[in-house]
Amino acid sequence: MHEEIIHTENKPKEKQNYVMLDLGKSPEFGLPAFKQVVKRSLNGELFVGLWVTLREMAKTLFMGGKHTTKYPMEKLPISPRYRAIHNMLRLLESGHYRCIGCGLCEKICISNCIAMDTRYDENQRKEVSEYTINFGRCIYCGYCAEVCPELAIVHGGRYETASEQRASFSLFDDMLTPIDMLKQQQEFQGFGSVSPNADAAIKKTPLAY
Amino acid sequence: MLLYINGGGIIMDIKQNKSQKINVTIDGKVCEATTDDTILRIARNNGIYIPTMCYLTKVEPIASCRMCVVEVEGIEGAILSCQSRTTDGAVINTKSKYIDKQRQNIMKLYNVNHPLECGVCDKSGECELQNKTLEFNVNAQSFTTKDMFRPVENWGFVSYDPALCIMCEKCVRVANEITGNEALQINTGGYKSRILNVKKDFNDSSLGESAAVCPVGALVSTNFKYTSKAWELDKIPATCAHCSSGCSLYYEVKNDKIYRVTNDFEFSSLCGAGRFGFDFANENVNKDTQAFTNAITAFKEADTIRFSAIITNEEALILQKFKEKYKYRLVCDEAYGYQTFLKAFGNVSGENLYNANLKSLSNSKGIIVLGSRINDDNPMVKYHITMASKRNSARVAYMHPIEDGNISNIVTQFIKYEVGSEEGVTALLANALLQNKELPGSLRDFLNDLDIGNISAESNVGEEELSMLMQSLDKKEGFTLVVGSDLYNHPRAVQIAKLIGAIQKYSDFDVLLVPPATNALGIALICTLDDEVGKYTIGYNAVGDFELSCLGNGDLDMPALNQQEGTLTTIDKRVAPTNVALSYNGYTLNDIANTLGLNAKYTIDYTSMLPSKSGFKVMDFDELPFNFDMVGVEHRGYLLSTKSIKNIDTFEEIDEIPTYDGAIIYRCNEANQFNMLTNRTKAFDQNEVCLKGSAQFANAAKVKDGDEISYVVDGIRYKRKFKLDSSLKGTIALHPNYDIRLSSALVSSYRFSHLTLEQ
Repeated sequence: MHEEIIHTENKPKEKQNYVMLDLGKSPEFGLPAFKQVVKRSLNGELFVGLWVTLREMAKTLFMGGKHTTKYPMEKLPISPRYRAIHNMLRLLESGHYRCIGCGLCEKICISNCIAMDTRYDENQRKEVSEYTINFGRCIYCGYCAEVCPELAIVHGGRYETASEQRASFSLFDDMLTPIDMLKQQQEFQGFGSVSPNADAAIKKTPLAY
Repeated sequence: MLLYINGGGIIMDIKQNKSQKINVTIDGKVCEATTDDTILRIARNNGIYIPTMCYLTKVEPIASCRMCVVEVEGIEGAILSCQSRTTDGAVINTKSKYIDKQRQNIMKLYNVNHPLECGVCDKSGECELQNKTLEFNVNAQSFTTKDMFRPVENWGFVSYDPALCIMCEKCVRVANEITGNEALQINTGGYKSRILNVKKDFNDSSLGESAAVCPVGALVSTNFKYTSKAWELDKIPATCAHCSSGCSLYYEVKNDKIYRVTNDFEFSSLCGAGRFGFDFANENVNKDTQAFTNAITAFKEADTIRFSAIITNEEALILQKFKEKYKYRLVCDEAYGYQTFLKAFGNVSGENLYNANLKSLSNSKGIIVLGSRINDDNPMVKYHITMASKRNSARVAYMHPIEDGNISNIVTQFIKYEVGSEEGVTALLANALLQNKELPGSLRDFLNDLDIGNISAESNVGEEELSMLMQSLDKKEGFTLVVGSDLYNHPRAVQIAKLIGAIQKYSDFDVLLVPPATNALGIALICTLDDEVGKYTIGYNAVGDFELSCLGNGDLDMPALNQQEGTLTTIDKRVAPTNVALSYNGYTLNDIANTLGLNAKYTIDYTSMLPSKSGFKVMDFDELPFNFDMVGVEHRGYLLSTKSIKNIDTFEEIDEIPTYDGAIIYRCNEANQFNMLTNRTKAFDQNEVCLKGSAQFANAAKVKDGDEISYVVDGIRYKRKFKLDSSLKGTIALHPNYDIRLSSALVSSYRFSHLTLEQ
C-alpha cells in the first residue's frame, strides 16, 4: 500500500490512495514467455464471457426480455419538470386563456425569443393579439414559466422540435391547450409552479364586505 | 390636515416679497438658498431626496399627498416641504422614524382597494405608486373600504379609470395652469372623490398633457392603451416638427413603429398635436435610382429651389450652398416675410434677434399679443401666457380683428382693430409704450407727428382702450409683446417691424416674434431668400416642376422630420437636435448634394458649419446635449447668440389704412393642425375641411351653412364646405389650408383677404 499526500500551491491538501498489484515478474523472452501466452489463451476464461452473451441473447430472443424502446412508436415517460416546447394553459372554469399580456416573459427572456402584441379589446380588457416564440433561439431555460404570474406559460413535454417549418410551434394557438382537451390539462410541476403549501401561505386581502 | 402644523417664526408665509440669500442645514448638509425657495426645492438642488407623490415642478405646489413632510428643529410636528419656505439657519431633517412611519401610512392609504392589475396596467414599470409602495415596504393591502362600480370613461384622446386614480390633482393643475383648457375638476367626496371632465364634448387633445403627468394608470392615452409595456419601448430624443416652438419630446419606438410620444413632463409641456400627431413618416421608401437620376437632371436644369420651412438647419445650409455654387434662387414662402421682418426689426433694435423667450414670457406680469390668433398659431406660446396669467395674474391684452373665445379665460382686455390697420395699430401701441422714454430724435419726431385721432378712427382702436391698458400695467414689471404672423406678410411689414424694433429697444417690453413655421427662424438666419421663382423650379416639400416630397407623392421621396437627424431652430432661439425615430432607406438631400459637388458623408456634418455670423456655434451634432438637470434647466442643443447690428432709425409716414369691407377670410389652421404633416397623422386626419364663419359672414358672402363653395387665394383654388360657427362673430371667416398638401407651403401673402366666390 502506498500513500501519498500531494501538495500543490493553490489546492487544499488531498489524500490519494493507490494500491499496487503484486503480479510477480513477467517473463520477457523465449520459452517462458511463449508458455505464458499459451497458458493464458487456453485457460477457458474466454468462454465465461461468451456464455453471458449467449444467455442474454437467448433470454431476449425466446423469453421476452427485450429492453429496446421502439422510438418513435414508443416513448418513455418523462419527468413533469422537463422543459421542452411551451404550453399555454387555459383557466379551468371559463376556458379562457390565462395569459393577461403582462409582458414579463418577454422581458425576462434571456435569448430574446418571445414577442407579443397586445391591444385594448371591446370588453375593456387587455387582449393578446400576437404571441410568438422563436424556437430557433429559445434555450429552454424556464425563466418565462417561472416569472409568469398567472401560470399561463409553462413548459411541456414535447421535446421533438424537428419540423418542416419553425412556425409550426411558435404561434400562440399551437401552444394553447385545445378547448376540447381542457379536462385533460395538467398543471406544470417545474419552475414557477405553485408550491405544495401555497394555500397555507396565502395572506388574504381584507374586504369590506 | 393632520400633519401640517403652521409653526411660529421659522416657517414663513409663501408670499414674500424680497428674496435674500440664506443658509439652511438639511440632513447635516449646509445648503445655500434664497428665501424664495421652498424646502423641497433647496433639497433637490442639493441632491437630497425627499419623496413626493403629488409634486410637479412645473406647476405651483399642490400639497395633496403629504409625502414630502420634514421636521424642522424647534418646531413641533411635521411640515410640508413642497410649499414651505424657510429662514436663515434653519435645521431640517428629512428622515426620522416618525416621518418614515407617516410616509408608510400614506402609502398604505393610497393602496386601499387599488386594483391589483399591475400586470396589465400601462403604467406598470413607470408608476409612482408602484415605486413608492416598494420603497416604503408596503407589501400587503392592510386597509379596505367598501368598493363601488367605477367604469372606465373614454374622453377621446385620453381615457380615465377612476378605480386607479389616487387623487393627486396633478392633471387638474396642469389643465388649469398650463394648457388652460380648464376641462378637469375635482369632485370631492372622500373615497368617492374623482376627476370630472366638464368639457367632454370638446375632445381636447391638450388633455394629453394632463395624462402625461398622471403618476398612475388612471389617465392614459386611449390609442396607446394596452398596446405595449413601457419598458419595451426605445426612447428617441427629438424635437417636435409641427410648429416653431420645437418642443423636446421622445418618440417611443418598437419594431420600427412609433407607439407614443412622451416628454420630460416634470419640467416641459407638449401640445396635443405634438403628443398625438407622430405618424407622419414617409414609409416603405427604397432607393429609386431612376427617380434619383431624374432629380439630378432636374437640378441641372432648374434655376429655382422652392422649399417649405419644415426642414432642418443642415438642409437649409445645403440649399444655401447650392445657391452660392449654382446661383439658384431660393424661395421659401413661409419664411421670406419673416426674414424681411426680422431684418427691418434688427435695423432699429440693434440686435438680429428678439429678446424674449417662452420662459421669460411665462414670468411676465403684462403681455400684449399682436397679430396672431395665438391659440391656433402656436399652442406653446398660449400655454406660457396661461402660466403667466394663472401664476402672476398677468394682464393679457389680445389685439386682433377676431375675438377668440378659446382664450377668454386668460385675456384681460380684448382690443379689436380693423383688418389691414396693423401699421396704424403698431404705431399707436409704440406711441403708448414709449411715452415717457428717452428716444432718439427721429423716432420722437415720428411719434409726435402721428395723427392719433385719425389712426384711432381708421383702425378702430380707441385711445381710451390703450390708456386703460397702460393703466393696468402701471407699477408692474416684466412685460412681453408677442408678435404673430399677421404682421410678417403685411404690405407694410418693414415699417411695422421697425416700430416693434423700437419697442424692444426703448420700452420696458421684451419682444417675442413668433416664427410662422417649424424652422422659419433657422431658415431666416441661414438662407438668403428670394421672393420670385424662375422658369424651372425644384420643389422641396413644396410645389415645383420637379418635386422632392416627404409625403410620398413627389417625384423623389425624402425623409420626414422624424426619419432624419439634424437641428431645428426654435422660438427660444435654441438650436435643438432631433434624431432618427424611424428607418428610411431612400435618398436624402445630402445624397443629391454629394452628387452635385458638395462633400459630406452625413447631413449632420453640416451642423458645425452653420453660419456663426448669425449666432450659430461651431459644434458637432454629436456634442449637442439633450436633457434637463435636477433643477429643471433645459440643456438641449445650444442657444443662439444675439449679434448686434448697426441700427438705423428712419421711419416713413404711416400709409393710408386700406379698407377691408364685405366678406373676409383669415388664413388660420385650427388648433392641432399646423401643416401638411399634422394632417397626415391618424389622430388628426380629417376628411372634411371647412371654411368656418359666423351668421354675419354668411350674410355678407351670401352663403348658407353646408354650401359647397369655391374660391381662389394666393393663386390656389379651394373647394370647401361652408360651416356656420356660433362661436365666431363679425364678417371674417377662418380659412384653413393644411389639407392642400405641398401647396400649403405657398403662403406668402397677408393673412386676411377678400372672399370672391367662383360660380
